[in-house]
Amino acid sequence: MTQWAILSGIEGNLAAYEAVLLDLKRQRQPVDELYVLGDVITPGFQSAKVIQRLRSPRSGELTPQVCQGWWEEQLLILHGLGRTGEPTELIERYGMSMVKTLWDEIPRSTVEWVRSLEFGFFELDCLLIHGSSVSVSDELTPDTPPIQMLDRLMRMDANYLFCGRSGFTFQYEIHQGMVTSSLVTLDQATSPQSTLVQPRQVIGVGNVGRTPGQATYTLYHPYTNQVEFKTVRYGSGKGFQAAKR
Amino acid sequence: MKIAVMSCIHGNYEALNAVLSDMDDQQADKIYCLGDLVGYGPYPNAVVEMIRTLDIPSCQGCWDEDIVEGLNSCECSYPSVLAEKRGKVAHEWTNRTIHPEVREYLAQLPLSLRDRNLCFVHGSPHSQHEYLMPEVDAFIALERVLSTGADILFCGHTHVPYVRSLEAGQLNVRVTSPEKSAQAVNFSAPIQRIVNVGSVGEPRHGRPNATYVIYDTDADRIKLREVEYDYQKTCAAIIEAGLPPIFAWRLARGLEFAERADDPTHVCER
Repeated sequence: MTQWAILSGIEGNLAAYEAVLLDLKRQRQPVDELYVLGDVITPGFQSAKVIQRLRSPRSGELTPQVCQGWWEEQLLILHGLGRTGEPTELIERYGMSMVKTLWDEIPRSTVEWVRSLEFGFFELDCLLIHGSSVSVSDELTPDTPPIQMLDRLMRMDANYLFCGRSGFTFQYEIHQGMVTSSLVTLDQATSPQSTLVQPRQVIGVGNVGRTPGQATYTLYHPYTNQVEFKTVRYGSGKGFQAAKR
Repeated sequence: MKIAVMSCIHGNYEALNAVLSDMDDQQADKIYCLGDLVGYGPYPNAVVEMIRTLDIPSCQGCWDEDIVEGLNSCECSYPSVLAEKRGKVAHEWTNRTIHPEVREYLAQLPLSLRDRNLCFVHGSPHSQHEYLMPEVDAFIALERVLSTGADILFCGHTHVPYVRSLEAGQLNVRVTSPEKSAQAVNFSAPIQRIVNVGSVGEPRHGRPNATYVIYDTDADRIKLREVEYDYQKTCAAIIEAGLPPIFAWRLARGLEFAERADDPTHVCER
């Protein structure tokens, strides 16, 4: 039975990533694919080392499939390689000083690798992405309105959307729905028609590096659609034990 | 109150004049415009001057944006190589022709306008480039209206007018997380409408007549208006100006020619 590990937000925290890799090795059922949904880097941490680790898996380890996150996009914008010319969002969130910090602390040698990352992955009926089908900045949470969640799924015609922007672990299941639509044009009027929704899900995969001593990630079985959230404790005195929730 | 809403004038002064006269005949109290004042047509300056003189509130359309910002959309702006070639010729012609104050006016136009429970945009609330076609999935259509907080969303961009009513929208959801037990969320939406007002100056509904919409707020009634005008004058002016003759051909037929997008829901990310 196939099993995927999906994580996001390493944020330059190498110890947290190592803890997750160790936890993956301890799974009874082997993990077949490892997806990293962006925010590998962040200023002021070991981002270059994390990139090196991702690019050079050890013998017997999976090669991670990495896509761009919010921090990667900010880096590309600073280097004139982003979708917009100005780092407006970075300045709005963190102030002007963060522009210099990000520029200084992320080695220029990593930019080409960051640039080569995909915007997201589409496997089977699953969209795996940092933010959503709208942008890397789009933050989906357990409180996002249902119609907005459905829109993000339908934009890419995905049944499952795995995302990491919020950092939360959650499973948001849209069971059923209906809307009746009628149309009037210059030449005709159509009678009302009902549109039904097929069951779809948005899954928040957690965050690896943001909270010291605690990494969260997600295991997914694509043939049974089973979702399992994992929490890994790490750091001195805490060992590397995984708490299954 | 009667609110008249028009869009996509595209430098067609003759059509604009005819539509304004019809709005007068219909006793419209207020007029809104949803952008694309310029592009394709031969009178971009005159159209903008008329809108400004009459103090008609207008959104910025995708053509207005492109004239201000330069052509920087991705290839999605043009659904075919042929369309791209012709579109660029029209863009360059318009760029050369418009007066500096017209460019300044287009630059400061807002992306959306609000009037109580009504919202006005060019393409969709998410992008000037998004086509809200009548066949777009009903839930996506519903999301576009709800994202504005309005009850009626007026848009243009497709050049084909329609009124779409979305009723009894409901979704049943369950949310679980490690921190909380499963929570049921039931969503329901009151009736929402999308009103595409068509195009004044470059209609694509199969006839050359200009189209726009009148909304009677008291009766809550929406009327699609089709206005005849002397389109031959505009066709002649298109050719005289050196614009691609195909623009005159399709204006005379009210047809889109070789410019149907493969994926009209695609949103340009640039």
